[in-house]
Amino acid sequence: MDQVFPEVVFTILGIPVRDTVVSTWIMMAIIIALAVVIGRRRPMGLEMLVDFLDDLISGIMSRPADHFLPLLGSLAIFIGVANIIGLVPLLSSPTKDINTPIALSIVVFFSVHYFGVRLMGFWEYLRNLASPIFLLPLEIISQISRTISLSIRLFGNVLSAEIIVAIIFALAPLFVPLPLEGLSLFTGVLQAYIFTALAAVYISTGLNEPEEIVDNEGEEETYPPVNNQTETI
Amino acid sequence: MAEMDPGTLITLVTIFIAGIGMVVGAITPAIVEGKAVEKALESIARQPDSAGDIRTTLLIAMALLESTAIYVLLVILILLFANPLLDRFF
Repeated sequence: MDQVFPEVVFTILGIPVRDTVVSTWIMMAIIIALAVVIGRRRPMGLEMLVDFLDDLISGIMSRPADHFLPLLGSLAIFIGVANIIGLVPLLSSPTKDINTPIALSIVVFFSVHYFGVRLMGFWEYLRNLASPIFLLPLEIISQISRTISLSIRLFGNVLSAEIIVAIIFALAPLFVPLPLEGLSLFTGVLQAYIFTALAAVYISTGLNEPEEIVDNEGEEETYPPVNNQTETI
Repeated sequence: MAEMDPGTLITLVTIFIAGIGMVVGAITPAIVEGKAVEKALESIARQPDSAGDIRTTLLIAMALLESTAIYVLLVILILLFANPLLDRFF
């Protein structure tokens, strides 16, 4: 079940099921099991992860990340685990099949419009989209090409890492592919970070400027807040 | 060029283009990313307080620049290992 290109493993009621789909199910079970077990034993671990994602997203979008954290945090965790799970012997990364990255970037495409309409109202969002009216075709083209490039970036990184490891393994097996597999571990996590950061950037360009937070003394504060004094524990 | 069987001709041209394409597709993003890092390091040296902001922007910009190199690598790997054009003549 560990081939480079995806292949059909079995069929359910006449629908062919690929090995990447089976890997996705196993990955979902692993993530849920890890979340439940770590949540019971050491909830601080989950809190650290959620805080890290919250800081990341709100730093990029320059506004509080409450609305966006469920979607973008789930994307980050899903893509991170999906890219890494290909290193396990019998499993294959779901993202090395072209369908998974396309599905994720279609989700991001619709979420840009969804958050714009929900947070700003339909006519305000449309006015924001088509503000100089002659730029509207350029805006539509850039939306489509951003979505395509988001999916192909993720797919290309994962698939080419797999092909190169397979080639090196065919030439010089046993220990020689190991540094390349370490590299694919690193690029897997990096591509998950890049996908989430780019999705956050795309969503924030669809929204208006964030409201300025006015301090007690009437001065404007930046978001995220910059501390001038050290924190007391 | 002698009368070659189309499969051989396609394979020959593919190997030739893969070599040239990969070389050009590896040099160009490397040069451009080097320029981006140079400017980012210069601006961190000028204003060390904004290092975190600059680092985030630099990372996102490098991913966008790297993606064109990945497109080239992907097309060449597909041409070499899963060439769809060879099936039309066999």
